[in-house]
Amino acid sequence: MDLDLNVHKDGDHSVLEVAGEIDVYTAPKLREQLIELVSDGSYHIVVDLEKVDFLDSTGLGVLVGGLKRVRNHDGSLQLVCTQEKILKIFRITGLTKVFPIHGSVSEAISSAPAE
Amino acid sequence: MFGAHAGVGPATVRLAFPPEPRLLGTVRLVVGIVARKAGMGAEGIEDLKVAVSETCAVAVGDLTRAGRRDPIEIDLVEAPDRFGIEVRDRALASAQDHGGPGETEVDDRELGLALVGALVDDLKTSALEDGGNRTSFWLRRDPLEPGGPGASPPDPDLPPPLT
Repeated sequence: MDLDLNVHKDGDHSVLEVAGEIDVYTAPKLREQLIELVSDGSYHIVVDLEKVDFLDSTGLGVLVGGLKRVRNHDGSLQLVCTQEKILKIFRITGLTKVFPIHGSVSEAISSAPAE
Repeated sequence: MFGAHAGVGPATVRLAFPPEPRLLGTVRLVVGIVARKAGMGAEGIEDLKVAVSETCAVAVGDLTRAGRRDPIEIDLVEAPDRFGIEVRDRALASAQDHGGPGETEVDDRELGLALVGALVDDLKTSALEDGGNRTSFWLRRDPLEPGGPGASPPDPDLPPPLT
């Protein structure tokens, strides 16, 4: 089990592609990546979860932590996810009201506030 | 071995693993295979994997804070219309005092347990007589019988479902 992260820029946005399983073991890697992005001045982040096979509460906590960080800089953190098993986790925990969740990266970028 | 609450009955499959976060993926894999062989549908399997993983992650955290290496035990119990899980650990109750939310300002432990509670039926937690905790719950299999609506497609690498 591993977690693969890939970051690329799209205009003012940083797109973080996540692949694999996000749990208590792998979530620190995601947390560090989000911290690094914000430290480097990326305040508009799109996290692409389309290749995520598993997400637990630790992963949710990391995403919430990332959202708080970008909001400290008037930034945004948006999610891309169409997988029902992952969306269900966000719905159950009420986090669909916290995160904008989109069907594609392009949709997320076009709806996100840019600097 | 079993304490106050009745649990979910005799295990069909029993697992034990040391409290290491890196092993949770393996636990999910095994639980998923057992549930699939039992004829549980795809959505039920995903719910089961999340619930078991969250429960075990809490146990791993409690044992780690307590400085203990005792294995976590998982019983998987098949019943005609449902699938039962019991997770036992040897963490002391004091290990559950984790000092509140951490770096993310989100209480992962409470969020995890809330998630389990939303996914499963009849969630019960109790203290074991000789120290530690037992968590048990059920997931309904209906309408996810083999070949029925919502059932997983057969995996050619797996033996037929248990009967």
